[in-house]
Amino acid sequence: MSSYKTDLKPVWCPGCGDFAVLNAVHRALAAAGCEPHETILVSGIGCSSRLPGYVDTYGLNSLHGRALPIATGAKLAAPRMTVVAVGGDGDGLAIGGNHFMHAARRNVDIAYFMMDNEIYGLTKGQAGPTTPTGDRTKSTTYGNPDPAIDPCALAIACGASWVGRGFSGDVKGTTELMTRAIRHHGFAFLNILSPCVTWRGEEQHKEIRAKTRPVPPDHDATRRESALRFTDEQELVTTGVLYEVSRPTLLDELEDIERRARGTGPVPSRSDFLGAFAI
Amino acid sequence: MSEDITFSIVGSGGDGAVVAGDLAAMACAAVGLHVIKTEAYGPQIRGGESSSTVRISPVPIAAQGDTIDALIVFKFADFARFRSEMMLSAGCIVLHEPDDAPPPELAAFRCTPVPFAQLAKDAGAPGAKNIVALGIFAAMFGLPLDSIRTAMRRRFRKRDASVIDANLRALDMGLQWNGGLQPAGVSFGGLKPAAPHLLMSGNEATAFAALHAGCSFFAGYPITPSTEILQLLGEWLPKIGGTCLQTEDELAAIGAVVGASFAGSKAMTATSGPGLSLMSEMLGLSSIAEIPSVVVNVQRGGPSTGIPTKSEQSDLFHAVYGGHGDMPRVVLACCDVEDAFHTTVDAFNIAEEFQLPVIVLSDQLIAQRRETIDSASLVHDVVRRDVPQEPDDSYRRYAMTDDGVSPMSVPGIAGGMYQTNGLEHDEEGRPSSMFITHERMNEKRYRKLDAVARKYPLFRRFGVSDPEVGILCWGSSAGPVAEAIERMNANDAGVAAFVPRILAPLPSRELQTFIDSCARIVIIELSFEQQFHRYLRSLVTLPRGIRVHARSGGKPLSVSEVIEATAVLEEVTA
Repeated sequence: MSSYKTDLKPVWCPGCGDFAVLNAVHRALAAAGCEPHETILVSGIGCSSRLPGYVDTYGLNSLHGRALPIATGAKLAAPRMTVVAVGGDGDGLAIGGNHFMHAARRNVDIAYFMMDNEIYGLTKGQAGPTTPTGDRTKSTTYGNPDPAIDPCALAIACGASWVGRGFSGDVKGTTELMTRAIRHHGFAFLNILSPCVTWRGEEQHKEIRAKTRPVPPDHDATRRESALRFTDEQELVTTGVLYEVSRPTLLDELEDIERRARGTGPVPSRSDFLGAFAI
Repeated sequence: MSEDITFSIVGSGGDGAVVAGDLAAMACAAVGLHVIKTEAYGPQIRGGESSSTVRISPVPIAAQGDTIDALIVFKFADFARFRSEMMLSAGCIVLHEPDDAPPPELAAFRCTPVPFAQLAKDAGAPGAKNIVALGIFAAMFGLPLDSIRTAMRRRFRKRDASVIDANLRALDMGLQWNGGLQPAGVSFGGLKPAAPHLLMSGNEATAFAALHAGCSFFAGYPITPSTEILQLLGEWLPKIGGTCLQTEDELAAIGAVVGASFAGSKAMTATSGPGLSLMSEMLGLSSIAEIPSVVVNVQRGGPSTGIPTKSEQSDLFHAVYGGHGDMPRVVLACCDVEDAFHTTVDAFNIAEEFQLPVIVLSDQLIAQRRETIDSASLVHDVVRRDVPQEPDDSYRRYAMTDDGVSPMSVPGIAGGMYQTNGLEHDEEGRPSSMFITHERMNEKRYRKLDAVARKYPLFRRFGVSDPEVGILCWGSSAGPVAEAIERMNANDAGVAAFVPRILAPLPSRELQTFIDSCARIVIIELSFEQQFHRYLRSLVTLPRGIRVHARSGGKPLSVSEVIEATAVLEEVTA
């Protein structure tokens, strides 16, 4: 099995949480047994969206906000491939928010890793959809007026069949979560808190570490109400699998549609299609 | 005496004007006549005004009916909404309900009251006044009755036998009522049965072309007037193991197409102006990352929501120039329903061979009219993508080549992995912000357009070989222009037309030769801004004193309009 590493050097700042996430991606692909040539990584735009360039699989660093539709098209066209979408919180929740809702609702069989740093890093420090209210950033001189979104709450509400939360400071735990997300049959969303040392400061990492605790052992991840208890947390950051249910994926539905469309007869020929227009 | 007839029925939703037009068109196509059928609607979702116009001819035709020989109006209030788009022939017969008096401006025509609703009631089919109308037209023009009855049985096959019988009685009621009424100057006696035709719309031809080309993935978002393509491929693709995805918006539609294409499928989306606007950014990714994509854009009145139900040729600039950055793309334009098939297959061929976005410009007039075509004409060679079978360590996704095309590995091929992006990149796909890489890669990507231009100089040329007057037009304008030229040249007018079917890269050499061979040039287009004229100015040398006939869409270009536009030129220069 390959190391999944490319010889490209990451553009990230020293101390960026995304290095640990990349490390976890390399390990998780190996743990999940993904052949590099049968794996597709798709990302949007942002610091974290550079990640596919550092993984030796098929990779596409696409447009801001559009990783999920591209990943959906790739998965439907090549169902045998493992398709993983990656990106940041701004990419997935702001400009790409609409696609997040629909990929989750369709239960597309892909894993989606969101590196959440609560800031726009590539454009150098503006408030994003997960930036806490009141925070001063380059674009919110007098404090951020908007409430933060909890990506996990959104994913559960939109119908994702697997939702987890990880922390880049815990590579082992994140690797395990990624591996389970890749193996999950359906849309698996993993929010990874990945601190931005440059625009959120050294403290962010420490603060998250101090708040982090694993999901309690008695948590029933199949129940939506239970899962939602670990969203919009203020004093804690609960990591682990928050929600996990089994329901038909988009591919399952499409296969069913194919059976209904085709019936028991042979594949229609050209003249069968043209017959509809013959008089 | 013309053997070429055009009739219209105008009514409210539920009157069945469109069904009557369909039946006439199907019946005539079935006996080998040539038919073009257009429909027009008001903006209401249900119950609004609608009109159906059918043109029938024993010889091939290229345009919708210019002037109407006979008109049935169920309600003049509905007719008023279409009045500015309908031209009546001098001898036009106008039939209307007795209690709905024609407006004074129609006094010049032969207005005759007919109790359509009462006749339908008498036939025991109270809802079938449209079929009574069809019977009247059938008697008036000698339409093939057996074929009409067959078409009715087929159309109503899911209904009770009693309903079909009642409708057949309504048809007879119309036939008997007619009593020899015939529009002046029209005779339709010389009906010569020929091989039956297919009756297809442009959108149907486009969808069929996708199947023919081997498209296995379609993603789209409903938008008038392209929606039928989504609906048809949603019905067809699952039958052959393909996939059709209705996405949350056009951004996702073109995104899914790029993703599917990256994964190795031939993929397409279809949209109209507002959707094309949304797709611009992703087409840039398709261009720089060299991922094949096909977008069929069915033009309607714009900008913004514009006139969604009517045709215009005002997306040209967006198609050839839209998007940021230097972005090589190919733009094709179809001229009629059959051409929608060929153009769409060409779009796949070019996209797959040259790994770039290809936009097909269709328009509402082609997309939603039904026209008779010969099924034997629906053949076209299909090209496949150059995929390296056993790439080794030296494989570079964007390797420099003479024509700019580098073999494209697809997921599943061991050793062919590559990481690409919408960033400028080197031959291996690694991001680069260096000037020299950007310049070399732009050169590479634009070399592909030179190769496309050499291989696909697509255009149509009508008329005399040594023209006095040359008409330049594109898209659905080609139909009325072709017929106008035929009529003008019957009087030795010496007119020809050049109609590019590929707009980018434009077949400039062939076009310039044509322009230089004409003493005078007329440009005809349905764009108020004169987008085609301005575009041509940027790429070829036009002589001084050209005539430009450019106006808003919303009303189809007519043959007489083309003749007038051409004749005005002669007066001016005389």
